Amino acid sequence: MSLAVKAALPSIGRRAAFRPVVGLQAYRSLHSSKPASQAEPMPSSTTSATEPVTALAQRNSNQYSLEHPQNRAEYVLSTLDKITNWARQGSMWPMTFGLACCAVEMMHMAAARYDQDRLGVVFRATPRQSDIMIVAGTLTNKMAPALRKVYDQMPEPRWVISMGSCANGGGYYHYSYSVVRGCDRIVPVDIYVPGCPPTAEALLYGMLQLQRKMRRSRKAVVWYRK
Amino acid sequence: MRTVRSIRRVGLREWWHQMQYIGDAKSGTYMGRDQFGNRYFQNDNPEEEIPGRHRWVDFAQHDFNATQVPAEWHSWLQHIREEPPHKDPVMMNSSPPWKAPWIENLTGTRGAYRPYNTVKTKISAWEPKSAPRA
Repeated sequence: MSLAVKAALPSIGRRAAFRPVVGLQAYRSLHSSKPASQAEPMPSSTTSATEPVTALAQRNSNQYSLEHPQNRAEYVLSTLDKITNWARQGSMWPMTFGLACCAVEMMHMAAARYDQDRLGVVFRATPRQSDIMIVAGTLTNKMAPALRKVYDQMPEPRWVISMGSCANGGGYYHYSYSVVRGCDRIVPVDIYVPGCPPTAEALLYGMLQLQRKMRRSRKAVVWYRK
Repeated sequence: MRTVRSIRRVGLREWWHQMQYIGDAKSGTYMGRDQFGNRYFQNDNPEEEIPGRHRWVDFAQHDFNATQVPAEWHSWLQHIREEPPHKDPVMMNSSPPWKAPWIENLTGTRGAYRPYNTVKTKISAWEPKSAPRA
């Protein structure tokens, strides 16, 4: 009897974790510096759909200010920005820079199951007509000048996805004498996809994150405010 | 045919919502919702849904991504667990009380993870010093 009661008690507490939590639950400040006007600490998690945790993290930020136009000119410009972003994110043409086994996963992303074409992602074998470079695999010292040349041939705007541990930071070959310790030493990287190798799903998620990054761009508004 | 059947089941309004977010007309059993308001559905009939597409999520946020699915529902969605978390006895009894609240991917916001190093750097930049000429 007492055993049954003991066994039941902790599971009640555990079940409580599944109930939808109303409002904000934990109070831990996300950032060490906060504006003076804001008295209460910023909650670190929320279950609200209208103001998700990503919106909380962007509160009072420069990006938040850019996304909310202050006058008519800015409204027009940010709409133009949104159209540009929509066009860019709908036709991402990656330059395939397959260097090692990661390239196989990159091919899987192009194949039927993960079907990158539905997102408008089409592999383009020439750097002059592509706007994303997926660095897939170990970048060796010998390959590094070629990588930089290919990157320089790409037209603006251009993005780089670093795929896999080797491209992110050397990975398994970090202490090798002939390997670049991360392709961000050669080209500026936008998205790092972790994994060894990352699954095709992970790379596709990286592409979606890059779309999110493109959506955040407010270049015209920045130009106007300057 | 499948589209018409789904529209008849879920209604025009829900169909429009699905076309905007899922891109397909789907109908199935409502399995539950998580703490964020994402709704989860299932349709086991292979005539109606292709196996592999028979469990799906309808996100609450407009700007959705896959990390908004909390861990418990992820395991249901990806067929790690058969029952949804509020029906699965193992899931109900193995959720620890010290579990932290689920937070979606904060990449690109100010809440993003920023790695830091507290160790002294192994390499230092070369600062050329020239001795004054005699």
